[in-house]
Amino acid sequence: MIAVYLCDDEDAVRHQMKTALEWKIFVEDYDMKVVCAAATAQELLDAVEDNRRSVYFLDVDLKDGEWDGFTLGQELRRRDPHGTLIYITSYGDLAWKTFQYHLEAFDYIVKEEDQTGVSAARCLEAVHARLLDERRDPAEVFSLRSGDGVRHVPLDDILFFETVSKTHHVFMHTADSRVDFVGSLSELETKLGGRFVRVHRAYLVAVDKIEAVDRKRNIVRVGGRECLLSRAGRAKLKKRSGGGL
Amino acid sequence: MPVLEEVLDVFVDSLISHAALVVYLLVIMDERGWGRLSRLPVLLFSPLVASWISIVSYKAFSGAPILCYCLDSSVILLMCTLWVKWAWCIGFWRAFAATCMAGVFQVSVSCLSRTLFMTVLLDRASQFMVVMVIYWAAVLGSAALLYRLRFGGWFRLLLEDGFSQRRTALFFFAMEATMEVFIILQKGIQPAYLIPYCLLMMIVVALIAGLVIYLAQRSDAARKIEAQQDVIAQQQLYEQDLEAIRQEVQAFRHDYKNLLAGLSQAADEGELGQLRASLSALDAGFDRRIGQKIQVSAQTGNLLIPQVRSLLLFKLAAMGKKGIDCRLEVLYPVESVCMDVWDLVRCLGILLDNAAEGALETQTPWVEIVLLAQGERLSLRVSNPYEGIIDPDKIWETGFSTKGEGRGLGLSSYQHILTRYSNTVSSTGWAGGVFVQELAIGERP
Repeated sequence: MIAVYLCDDEDAVRHQMKTALEWKIFVEDYDMKVVCAAATAQELLDAVEDNRRSVYFLDVDLKDGEWDGFTLGQELRRRDPHGTLIYITSYGDLAWKTFQYHLEAFDYIVKEEDQTGVSAARCLEAVHARLLDERRDPAEVFSLRSGDGVRHVPLDDILFFETVSKTHHVFMHTADSRVDFVGSLSELETKLGGRFVRVHRAYLVAVDKIEAVDRKRNIVRVGGRECLLSRAGRAKLKKRSGGGL
Repeated sequence: MPVLEEVLDVFVDSLISHAALVVYLLVIMDERGWGRLSRLPVLLFSPLVASWISIVSYKAFSGAPILCYCLDSSVILLMCTLWVKWAWCIGFWRAFAATCMAGVFQVSVSCLSRTLFMTVLLDRASQFMVVMVIYWAAVLGSAALLYRLRFGGWFRLLLEDGFSQRRTALFFFAMEATMEVFIILQKGIQPAYLIPYCLLMMIVVALIAGLVIYLAQRSDAARKIEAQQDVIAQQQLYEQDLEAIRQEVQAFRHDYKNLLAGLSQAADEGELGQLRASLSALDAGFDRRIGQKIQVSAQTGNLLIPQVRSLLLFKLAAMGKKGIDCRLEVLYPVESVCMDVWDLVRCLGILLDNAAEGALETQTPWVEIVLLAQGERLSLRVSNPYEGIIDPDKIWETGFSTKGEGRGLGLSSYQHILTRYSNTVSSTGWAGGVFVQELAIGERP
């Protein structure tokens, strides 16, 4: 069962949303339950259980000591990294992109007299659909700390890792991104195991993404990109392919 | 085995020089209290080590006194720099520059004392007394003069511009080295010319101090002009917003008669639901059209680093003029950042130029900027739509741009700036027709 949490200091809004969400869950027969409708951040945090992939409806303009909507979202992300965050706001002008990028917030609802509950119910429907989707394909992910957040990248998207001129930094390359993070190729090599091969001192490449090996120029082509190939790397690849390369 | 008296002599000499150096350092660092002096005992290592090195090296290479002198001076310079770095909790280059500057003053007064030792001919004890009195009068007098001229403040201003801090520090080092050369050459001056030589030394040092103040005033003036430009840019942005709001209101006035007609009809028929729906549509329309402009103005209020603020306002205004739809989010106040501010400004400038350039090639150009400050950390995200295909092997190469030759010096120098900061991580993405640059600046390493 998926737990649904609610946090808003306005009694009327909280009540309206709770009723609407419960009704939606009942009508659609979702495997969900509104576990807690809290008026303060602390009340919510006391009720939350870690790592349960729960759904949270949070007031953006929450004023509760050290907590505001954003910091509460951060704390929830820390405790429940795969939970779903939805924000409730009184104005349309919240810094939504900040919430989206930094908290991976799912959506936001604008408070409108008697429409708030309806919006919440509609939002829950979208959340439910996405959760079903996720359950269908639990992709293997690679998690890395980049900046102040943790990124989860499907392992299958990664083309290769490359050392950077900055010490202790590594670039991760996918087909449509390049991400800098703190780490070392040797560490990654042992951590990721067989899927990746160290073809050069500076490159750790996904074996199944290798398109061609150019032995004249000592280069490996991976996802349309070029990585350097060392003598030792070539030997490793050869061993991999059973001498076929 | 060196004679005890000799050792003591060297040590006392070194100690006096260090004391003078500290006096000048206090002035140069614009120190207002005496609290910093509690860290002074640690500096005692410097004369101890220095006199030891000096004695040992003179014994070892007695044939090359200049080499010994250089070795001794470099060690003192290094130790004092480290002490300043520790005592004032500042960066190495700033400490180095301050130490070199203090060194310049100190060398000039020690030139004075040497001259006095050679010209005032009395018995040893009273000669020492006389020289010391004049020496300290000169040290304290010049220090007081520098203090009155607010030399420390000007000096700090000169080094604030962290972009050229290392260069400035090396410049001061060059001056210090020159002064050291002068004092070595003193040995070759004929007695008759000693006093003019000494006066010349004083004049040179006064000129150096004047030069520092002059340069600082110049850069201060430049900065003031920049601040004015900030105000102008902000006004431009504001005027643009006002103009846009005015146009929106005009368009609104056009519509509102129709809307009112609809509303009054709904009211006549007693259709409360429809009334309410129309009213909320009106409200949402206002929010969408005018609210957004107001939003950008509100968010710039959270930018508290003047240089960053100035740049952003300027770029936003420029992009607005080109018809790019800009969105800026600054959730929390951005007060400080663990990176040289000018480097950050350069990075931000490159990212914004790049984004604007990319966005302009599309049908509906937009640029989105999200800044999030949390404590000492700052993260920055700039995104824009793009047209065409991105070759990831090429975008970071010097001189590459989707727009052909001669452009795109940006991203490679952006990369280059960041290599100097181990506390930054950057990432780039180009999925789904949107180019995204992210930069996270962490706490000081």
